[in-house]
Amino acid sequence: MQIDMTVNGRAYSADVEDRTLLVHYLRDHLGLTGTNVGCDTSSCGACTVHIDGQSVKSCTVLAAQVRGADITTIEGMANDEELHPMQEAFRQCHGLQCGYCTPGMVMAATSLLSENPDPSEQEVREGLEGNLCRCTGYHNIVKSVLSVAGGQS
Amino acid sequence: MTNLQPYLRPTSIEPALEALAEGKRTIIAGATDLFPSRGNLSTTIEPILDITAISELSGIQPEGNGWRIGALTTWADIGRSSLPPVFSGLCQAATQIGGIQIQNVATVVGNVCNASPAADGVPPLLTLDASIELRSTETTRVLPLNSFILGNRSTARRPDELVTALLIPKYSTTRESPSRDITPVGGFVKLGARAYLVISIVMVAAVAEIDSDGVIQAAKIAVGACSAVPKRLTQLEVDLVGTSLGKGHDALSRQITADHLKVLSPIDDVRASASYRLSVTPHMISQALLACHSE
Ligand SMILES: Cc1cc2nc3c(=O)[nH]c(=O)nc-3n(C[C@H](O)[C@H](O)[C@H](O)COP(=O)(O)OP(=O)(O)OC[C@H]3O[C@@H](n4cnc5c(N)ncnc54)[C@H](O)[C@@H]3O)c2cc1C
Ligand code: FES
Ligand code: FES
Repeated sequence: MQIDMTVNGRAYSADVEDRTLLVHYLRDHLGLTGTNVGCDTSSCGACTVHIDGQSVKSCTVLAAQVRGADITTIEGMANDEELHPMQEAFRQCHGLQCGYCTPGMVMAATSLLSENPDPSEQEVREGLEGNLCRCTGYHNIVKSVLSVAGGQS
Repeated sequence: MTNLQPYLRPTSIEPALEALAEGKRTIIAGATDLFPSRGNLSTTIEPILDITAISELSGIQPEGNGWRIGALTTWADIGRSSLPPVFSGLCQAATQIGGIQIQNVATVVGNVCNASPAADGVPPLLTLDASIELRSTETTRVLPLNSFILGNRSTARRPDELVTALLIPKYSTTRESPSRDITPVGGFVKLGARAYLVISIVMVAAVAEIDSDGVIQAAKIAVGACSAVPKRLTQLEVDLVGTSLGKGHDALSRQITADHLKVLSPIDDVRASASYRLSVTPHMISQALLACHSE
């Protein structure tokens, strides 16, 4: 099946098997390997991307289901040489260790702030409940998100 | 059968029903139950009918005296809706299901059709007296939720039928001589091994009419994960009338006896033992009632 969609502002088209998951389409067909796969139970959130602005786990969606949609992945966050403020905050606040969960965390965190620009610590923890991190203990991730929220207001 | 196209994504109901009449297909909505349970999709799944492009199936609308919840309504849609307080239990369940990425795509109808004993949506829907609308090319039928779900992972849906909506009737009181109106309010509590991303050990939904003195005038209670199909506790519903919530959590949960719970048949599994489930249920019911009062 021919699949057209916009990813990070650029139009892509590829011919793939009908039942290809979006995450595999992004990684294997478009070479956008920043979106990670961390589980096979849709639990970990490493594969989180934005579909028309909403955060979704790309391992629960078929590429065919989002034909024509506007997708943003972690590769679309930085602006040329300048990191996205959320990426910068993760760097400043040590919000990552191995970095495996980080792309998904950054995507989930940015969509959280677009819905709720000034969340409490509790709201950040709840908003990131779909993203698992095996390294940091979450504390510095929450700090990173709060620092961007504070910085914005 | 062998020639069915492997993936179909119609944009209206009719072609979807025709596709189902032609041969067996797996229906996908949010796919959050389906994909995790199937592994590598392209090799293991039968032909797919993807219903996510059928716009007629979305939306929550007043219908008749009640409400129609279209089959594509997601948990995020429920969480953001401004439904009346009788729906509070369903709305509270919505925000506790699987994290925001899951809530953005997972549907209420998918939760019901998956027919897991631990489906968080089912107890609140039982307390709302929900029905299921099923359509095929030939027929439209409406089944009460408790006759739609037949057992663990089993429903009364025929392979040629599509669930098109959940129908919630106008609230009907169980009070014998309602002399004045009391707003019915819903509540939902779920017990899991941790706060987030967890399959429930027990969940309880309630809809109650509580008067200004804090006395229960009518109540509907449903318990999940303690039987193959979540159950209403009808005897308890009758016995709770006249109970004051002011007496507090402990006294309230002590009022719930083994007899009230005898319709439940919990099992031992990796999450909890049957006896643990039964022993926490009265506390959960009490909390669900208090949640109705605090809304
Ligand atoms: C990380 C994670 C966390 C989760 N947490 C929870 C939780 O806390 N509580 C909970 O209850 N569930 C949870 N779930 C399970 C799941 O997300 C819910 O049950 C969800 O509501 C299912 O909806 P869906 O649209 O994704 O269903 P799908 O996976 O698309 O479908 C589920 C089943 O219903 C059938 N179906 C769907 N729509 C129709 C229709 N219109 N007509 C006929 N058949 C249909 C499908 O064929 C399939 O058999 C979780 C899942 C994941 C991956
Ligand atoms: S890879 Fe999608 S949630 Fe883990
Ligand atoms: S930084 Fe290693 S998983 Fe989160």
